[in-house]
Amino acid sequence: MKAVRRFIDRVCGAVAALALFGIMVLTFVDVSGRKALSQSVPGSLELTELLMVLVIFAALPLVSLHGEHVVFDSLDAITPKAFQKWQRALVELICAAGLLGVAWLMWRKAGSLAEFGDTTALLKISHAPFVYGMSVLAVVTAVVHLMLILHPVATHHVGVEVPGDNDADADVKGLT
Amino acid sequence: MTEALLGFLGVFVIAAMRIPLAFGMGFVGFAGLVFVRGWPAASESVAQVVYESGFAYTLSVVPLFILMGNFVARAGLAHELFRAADAFIGHVRGGLAHATVLACAGFGAICGSSIATAATMSKVAYPSMKRLGYADSLATGVIAAGGTLGIMIPPSTILVIYGIVTETNIGKLFAAGVLPGLLSAALLMAAVSWVAARRPDMAPAGERSTWPQRWAALRGIWGVVLLVIVVLGGIYGGLFTATEGAGIGAFGAFVFALARRALSWKLLWQVLVESARTTAMLFTILIAASVFANFINFTSMPNDLREWIVGLGLPPVAIVGAMMLIYILLGTIMEELSMVLLTIPVFFPIVTQLGFDPVWFGVLIVFVVQIGLISPPVGMNLFVLSTLLKQVPITQIFKGVWPFVAALTVSLLVVLMVPQVALWLPSLMR
Repeated sequence: MKAVRRFIDRVCGAVAALALFGIMVLTFVDVSGRKALSQSVPGSLELTELLMVLVIFAALPLVSLHGEHVVFDSLDAITPKAFQKWQRALVELICAAGLLGVAWLMWRKAGSLAEFGDTTALLKISHAPFVYGMSVLAVVTAVVHLMLILHPVATHHVGVEVPGDNDADADVKGLT
Repeated sequence: MTEALLGFLGVFVIAAMRIPLAFGMGFVGFAGLVFVRGWPAASESVAQVVYESGFAYTLSVVPLFILMGNFVARAGLAHELFRAADAFIGHVRGGLAHATVLACAGFGAICGSSIATAATMSKVAYPSMKRLGYADSLATGVIAAGGTLGIMIPPSTILVIYGIVTETNIGKLFAAGVLPGLLSAALLMAAVSWVAARRPDMAPAGERSTWPQRWAALRGIWGVVLLVIVVLGGIYGGLFTATEGAGIGAFGAFVFALARRALSWKLLWQVLVESARTTAMLFTILIAASVFANFINFTSMPNDLREWIVGLGLPPVAIVGAMMLIYILLGTIMEELSMVLLTIPVFFPIVTQLGFDPVWFGVLIVFVVQIGLISPPVGMNLFVLSTLLKQVPITQIFKGVWPFVAALTVSLLVVLMVPQVALWLPSLMR
């Protein structure tokens, strides 16, 4: 299970990180080129849009994996411990079901985009593969939620690590 | 009307079951859409919202500003801001607490997140205050409250999201946040003085710095001052859009961190992944809230409520004041971004119908979010401090934050009664 966690952390993290770095460099080069040299990067808007999809949907499994969704957990103090275990499992199951629903919707959407041969305006990059990607990553996130039934994590805010959370890199991740 | 009310109730019940808020809003929104429009239209509408929120150029402003804040945080700038503020004001009673507010305000000019500002400052300011013998309640209270300046002083994640959802100009919203941000910083410092005057033992004075020390401390922060001037100045001056400014800012912060040799490959990776994760977390809320808003907009509630309220014939300011009261009460128990996104489809049409400036309302919303973030029992900033400063009991944090809740409430009242505080700067923009 740990290996699977690490694999998702590495692969999804790499995709999201590279895409975000790409957006940053692209925006900088495009804007400074346009303002200083009156020369923009062709299709930079479209590329940013495609990269945004990767940033959001590749990072989604990680948000779930690390328990970073916003949860109203103030009732934990008065919920019986024995019940909590079942409650957590049920919540993960419901989240997984919702994500599979989104995955299905996106798969259908991708199908119809592929059918109409929908592409970006300037660079003619096909939208469909990216939407299929959204769908696949939603499935990955659903799988993560199912994994959480067996290995629950503490919920917390992004960037504010809970000590003892078995993250591969928990020791240095707090905002130092 | 009934189905919309049931929808709101549903969101609260599902949240209480410990289902993440984003999922809850999405489920209720989808179920509501199925109920009012039928299955095919509902599923098509949800698919469209997810698709459009993913492929949205203007939304790239969100991760870029988050990235800028994280780069600068990693570059260790918070230490230097705090040291500079301390050099100037540390010798007065409660000086370190004053310095915390000033450093938070400075950090807020680069970072658009309240939680990140409070988390960063807890590492920097708390140990210094502890060493000098500050009471835990005051030390944590001022960090929690100062952290909220991160979302009022531009850039601001909340203002960006408000701008996107309501189609209000983000540059104007940023300009509008400046003076209210400075006003709340001043009032937070007044609250520090008040506490220090009543209980001098809680807030001892530090040593006075010499002028050479002060200049030396200032030298450490010029790079970031330059970055802020370029990014915010460029946006205000109309040189570039908020999205473009965010791109320049993120890249500048990246170069800044590189120049200070603060970035290893590992750290770069962490900053990028963490920013992406924050983005994804915000987008799940944003997408789910849009689904919910689509449902609410198909019910008669926005219209019914608008007609009813306008028909009451109350003074318009009283109506907005009542909304603020609802927000403050809701904010004590609810997560603030979800609260705002849930209520905007209902409140925003009323506000514009009454003839108010959406920019002003955006600033008021940031105030209630600030107050919500630090008001017990459910205040995210308080929880973050409690997580990061394990040695301080949460009851101490709760106890220390009240003077600052009061200070922010006064700031809210001032901007409510005198809208020019928010609207003067944007009125100078082209």
